[in-house]
Amino acid sequence: MTAGTKRAGHTRWLVLLLVLAMVAAACTSSDDDGGDTTAPSDDGTTETTAGGDGDAPATTAGGDGDSDVNNPGVFVFGADDEPLSLDPAEVEAGEYGEAVILQVYDRLVDFAAGSPDLVPSLATEVPSAENGLISEDGLVYTFPIREGVTFHDGSPLTADDVLYSWDRVITTSLPGSSAELLSENVADMQVVDEFTFQVTLAERNAAFLNSVVTQMVTSIVSDEVVEANGGYAEGERNEFVATNPIGTGPYVFEAWNRNENLVFTANQDYWGGAPALDLRIEVVQDPDVRVLGLRAGDFDMIETDPSFIGDLEGAEGVEVFTGGLLVEPIHIGFNMNVPEDELPPEDTISGDFFADPLIRQAFNHAFDYEAFLNSALGGVGDFNSHYIPQGIFGYDPDAPKYTAADPARAEELFREAGVWDEGFTVSVITEAANLFETAALVLKDSIERLNPNFQIRVLAVAEAQFDEAHASDPVPYAMWVKNADPFADPHAYMQAYQHPDGEWGQVHGFAQAYRNPDQIASLIDEAKVEIDVERRAELYSELQNLLYEDPMWLIAAQEGVANAHRTWVEGFTLNTLWPRPNMKFSLFDK
Amino acid sequence: MQIRDYVLRRLMVLPLLVIGTSIIVFALTRVGGSPIGIYLSHEMSQDEIAQLEERFKLNEPLPVQYVYWASGVLQGDLGWSGVAAAPVTEAFPPKLAATMELAVASAIVAVTLGIGLGTFAGARRNRFPDHFTRIFSISGASMPLFWFAILMLIVFWVFLGWFPIGRSDADIFQSIAHPTNLYTVDAILAGSWPAFVDAIWHLTLPALTLGYGATAIISRMMRSSLVEELQEEYVDAARAKGLPERIVLRRHARRNALMPTVTVIGLSFGFLLQGTVVAEIIFRWPGLGRWMADAVLRGDQATIMAYVMFTSILFLFVNLAVDVLYAYLDRRVVLGV
Repeated sequence: MTAGTKRAGHTRWLVLLLVLAMVAAACTSSDDDGGDTTAPSDDGTTETTAGGDGDAPATTAGGDGDSDVNNPGVFVFGADDEPLSLDPAEVEAGEYGEAVILQVYDRLVDFAAGSPDLVPSLATEVPSAENGLISEDGLVYTFPIREGVTFHDGSPLTADDVLYSWDRVITTSLPGSSAELLSENVADMQVVDEFTFQVTLAERNAAFLNSVVTQMVTSIVSDEVVEANGGYAEGERNEFVATNPIGTGPYVFEAWNRNENLVFTANQDYWGGAPALDLRIEVVQDPDVRVLGLRAGDFDMIETDPSFIGDLEGAEGVEVFTGGLLVEPIHIGFNMNVPEDELPPEDTISGDFFADPLIRQAFNHAFDYEAFLNSALGGVGDFNSHYIPQGIFGYDPDAPKYTAADPARAEELFREAGVWDEGFTVSVITEAANLFETAALVLKDSIERLNPNFQIRVLAVAEAQFDEAHASDPVPYAMWVKNADPFADPHAYMQAYQHPDGEWGQVHGFAQAYRNPDQIASLIDEAKVEIDVERRAELYSELQNLLYEDPMWLIAAQEGVANAHRTWVEGFTLNTLWPRPNMKFSLFDK
Repeated sequence: MQIRDYVLRRLMVLPLLVIGTSIIVFALTRVGGSPIGIYLSHEMSQDEIAQLEERFKLNEPLPVQYVYWASGVLQGDLGWSGVAAAPVTEAFPPKLAATMELAVASAIVAVTLGIGLGTFAGARRNRFPDHFTRIFSISGASMPLFWFAILMLIVFWVFLGWFPIGRSDADIFQSIAHPTNLYTVDAILAGSWPAFVDAIWHLTLPALTLGYGATAIISRMMRSSLVEELQEEYVDAARAKGLPERIVLRRHARRNALMPTVTVIGLSFGFLLQGTVVAEIIFRWPGLGRWMADAVLRGDQATIMAYVMFTSILFLFVNLAVDVLYAYLDRRVVLGV
């Protein structure tokens, strides 16, 4: 009896050992793989695709024999964020819903893949003075609408849908949306015939096609679909459109499983040719998990934080792309319009501290640009102290820029401004735990090392708390960190971020701070309506030279594009003028 | 006092406790600032912000805001969750189901492993298997969950590819209805074998990870009480009767050793519920924990309020249940409010 029990005990013991041995074996094999993947690679790419160890239990293989790829037939993107609304009339610029709208809807004209050139989309021609589709006075734009296009529900596209779509945006005018892009520019719209749409502008605008017609807010919805599902009314959001996009684009929306994924199928009837793969956007907020998913091969492509590039370079079956720059400069704002009693009690500065251009220049000279670029951005990006980002028309590479810390010059300027001896304490507010906080910390380090009497208090707060402060008028802090909204035309940047009467000009009190506010305003206004390209570029160049001496922002860096994908992804291309993540997935295959 | 009277009295006090809790929680969440931030975008004008504040009564004094909030709650309106982009009442049930499914699966792992290892070690006291299980279970308790979870992902997802992450396969998810949002149950209700396998397959890794952490305390408790029981005279008597050691262990000693262990199992369920926050974030499990973590980071106060109120009320009921249960089990306990 006792012997039998003992034998049974031994058997169980052996089974346990066996299980442990299997786990140990698994760990050993993973260690081996880990050794391989850390091998450095100059270009960050490898030729091999993942072997058996990276394969998730495969579903059925695709028709074209893609047995080497995971999830054949569907492109899986690991996104770092989730949309709030999929309605073009509601989506906020820079919000993740724009990325989905780009795949599901079309606009009249669009940016070409990999270049800032405009190409026809639902309009068969890009209007220009040469082809006669822009009137001589520059006010009337005529769009010939593509025939034979159908929405995903089968209803046909006509010029009426275009009118309906734009009118809907202007009428609903939802808070936070980009409705003002249309309402401020468009004076009149009419359907000339079934396939011709005409717009009359309120005033000449050289940037109308680039910065309005290409934007997600102008996406064309089906009047039949919207009317059948609640229609539209002023100030009212349409829950159906916000969650069920039905467009003419390359992908047909199937499902949105909140906090998990968005599922799309290829539009087999797409006028521009059916995409090769279906699409699934997986919402994966944790950057470690995105990276692991890419290595596992479950994701074909992920949004990559630049700081992860080091981890991924040389990983088996993974290609890291860096190149190009986002057009959303990371900036630190100087607020010259804050009532003294609203500043944090620790701040010793006066409400108009930054009205002195010398102090603004001194801050710009003191900032350690290199430290920021190499830490927060992992070296992926470039310096550009100007509010016309590289990659946007009008950027002048020869204009003077703040690109390296110059503590000696900063000290001179602080002394000249008369603040060197008594010093100052100023708070800078930022979202916590992202690269904006790093920018604030680099600022703190850069300024405080100049003089022990200088103090920068970094207030790193939750996103909602930052948003509340950032949206207040006046903003109750003298400095804050954020990135700019992306635009496609220099005027949009100039108007929002430099014009004394612009969005931030008013909030921050630029009019009282510029050395010559009228000159800046008239240059920006003149450039807006200047149709002669060379003259327009000259005006922007002049502005950049003036603004170097009179900076309203400290631009920490222009973030570079980093993208990591499996080597089996074919046809990789992007355009930073498309909404983040700057990708049209319909162009990819695997 | 009769148990029934006691329960009734406690139930009458309950609303007061709930109201008190809600006032404290409401005041505390407002310390972090106004909840308006989650509704704002950078594109909004001052007028639009003012309109929003008026609409949500955020321009009123705090007590008035509380009354609006409370009257909304009474009408079943817990506010809008900026994180879930849906009303809180709509987003809550599926996330609760996801968390419960994970917590229960982890508890199954913890209990099975804990009792199994505890028995295994207790019966082989101070021998190699005992030392080994001690190391095994203590490592589970001492490894930080966020680190261990990532390690599990690296081994079983990235390198071996045995288990996926997330809660379900996108296609399979869409193939069946989800009346309960407990995917294993939904799969059974739909009679879909592939969906059931998929649900279990997705559950395995997070449940193993989370359950392993709770294994230590259960197995240690099981081991020590088993060791104690095995020294009792009734065990000697059973052996003397000539019963096989297996029967002595299973029928006699283990059954008695389970009593104190069950108490510990109850406690460890609390640990599992807390652990789901980390596990949900790392394994992409769309439950309450991940929702809550996002809500805290983004200042989504409606969600925070709802979650804290939910756990407070849960605890109030659990407390009540435990008190009553004690009284029921041990008549010497005197009940009183």
